[in-house]
Amino acid sequence: MHVVLADYFPVLVFVVIAFGIAGAMLGGSLLAGQQKPYAEKLSAYECGFDAFDDARRRFDVRFYLVSILFIIFDLEVAFLFPWAVALGRIGLFGFLSMLAFLGVLTVGFIYEWRKGALDWE
Amino acid sequence: MLPGIANVGLGPYLTVSAALLVLGVFGIFLNRKNVITIMMSIELILLAGEINLVAFSSALGDLSGQVFTLFVLTVAAAEAAIGLAIVTVYFRNRGSIQVEDVTLMKG
Amino acid sequence: MITQIVFWFFAVVLIGSAVMVVSARNPVHSVLFLILAFFNAAGLFLIAGAEFLAMILVIAYVGAVAVLFLFVVMMLDVNFSQLREGLQRYFPVGAAVGLVLFVELALSASAWRIAPNVRDLPHARVPGASSNTEALGELIYTHYVFLFQACGLVLLVAMIGAIVLTLRDRPSAKRQDVAVQHARVPADTLQMMTLGLGESTTGNGGFRRPIGKSAEKPVSRPALVIENSPDREG
Repeated sequence: MHVVLADYFPVLVFVVIAFGIAGAMLGGSLLAGQQKPYAEKLSAYECGFDAFDDARRRFDVRFYLVSILFIIFDLEVAFLFPWAVALGRIGLFGFLSMLAFLGVLTVGFIYEWRKGALDWE
Repeated sequence: MLPGIANVGLGPYLTVSAALLVLGVFGIFLNRKNVITIMMSIELILLAGEINLVAFSSALGDLSGQVFTLFVLTVAAAEAAIGLAIVTVYFRNRGSIQVEDVTLMKG
Repeated sequence: MITQIVFWFFAVVLIGSAVMVVSARNPVHSVLFLILAFFNAAGLFLIAGAEFLAMILVIAYVGAVAVLFLFVVMMLDVNFSQLREGLQRYFPVGAAVGLVLFVELALSASAWRIAPNVRDLPHARVPGASSNTEALGELIYTHYVFLFQACGLVLLVAMIGAIVLTLRDRPSAKRQDVAVQHARVPADTLQMMTLGLGESTTGNGGFRRPIGKSAEKPVSRPALVIENSPDREG
């Protein structure tokens, strides 16, 4: 059961290759392209005018609510992972305790469903 | 003691954890006006506690440290969610996130 | 040896990104450095053997909480410059408090010794588990069941709190009520009539059928009327 760091060497190889490919793409375009910037080219294109305003929009809270609900259910799934792996060893009591946890979160789920938090118009 | 932490030793882990805690507290002091940075500093403090718990759990071969870290993680995520929801609604009503104006919410 | 190098690499990047979190000018940079800090903390957890927690840190903390921070930072239109004033004033106080805290922690850690009989104390050990995840699974749902249920309640409160705070009921929005839609029968919407030659519908009660079901006055020509669904009377 002891975790040896060498077991994660493939992950390191993966990360190094990912960084390598991304770096090669960026570096390649940096080296191979002609770079002759001047102020006109670097300014934002807004049909000839200077930028009127910040690019940020008026905030729509529904995206944020979806994100919060994602956090809650993501943590629920995080609790489900060890339970699923160890289900054979924890017997009926472990099963029932997880059922209680899921029941509590299902109450919340019913609440948000009926409140219309899942509707998107 | 697990092999990983036997190699490194408990001391370095505790030093890193202490440094993170101090940085989190320092961050709260420094960014008094920006409530989002305050919340991020709180997350750093909680992360410091988690590193501490995991280090001891690994050093003593006792899994209860890791169990408790999972719960700290849950509470930290829930707290971040609600805190940011409060900030969002506050901003929606007020148009800025000046921390000093928060006392105006006193009922 | 390699473990130590990897540990110091993760530790240095972690501390460095924590410094940048608290001192970056742009909050978006702060959040990105926080994400980097979480990744490096996950690396530290891996070295210590807590592989389940390392993955959960990446999935839950980075994948959800940091994204939430990024959401809020990017969507709130914040004027950065006025938030940075007062930095010079509070820097020495903050540094002093931080230094005192660090010295306290160092003193308490240096004076502290692990008891010699710590191996004999009851530990939450699972000797037969094949992985860290399985060992944790065997503990959480049996020995720590009360904490586990409390976690469920915390998540429930967070869910309800988030909905109460951010959900704005929009009465103008048309919402679907699937039960009502399924409960429709043809008698609610259709009524077959026999009209004689030359007769109009106006004289026979109008176009809207059946009369009284939608609580509208019958009109002679099909006007575009927004119909209120039955359970939203005002």
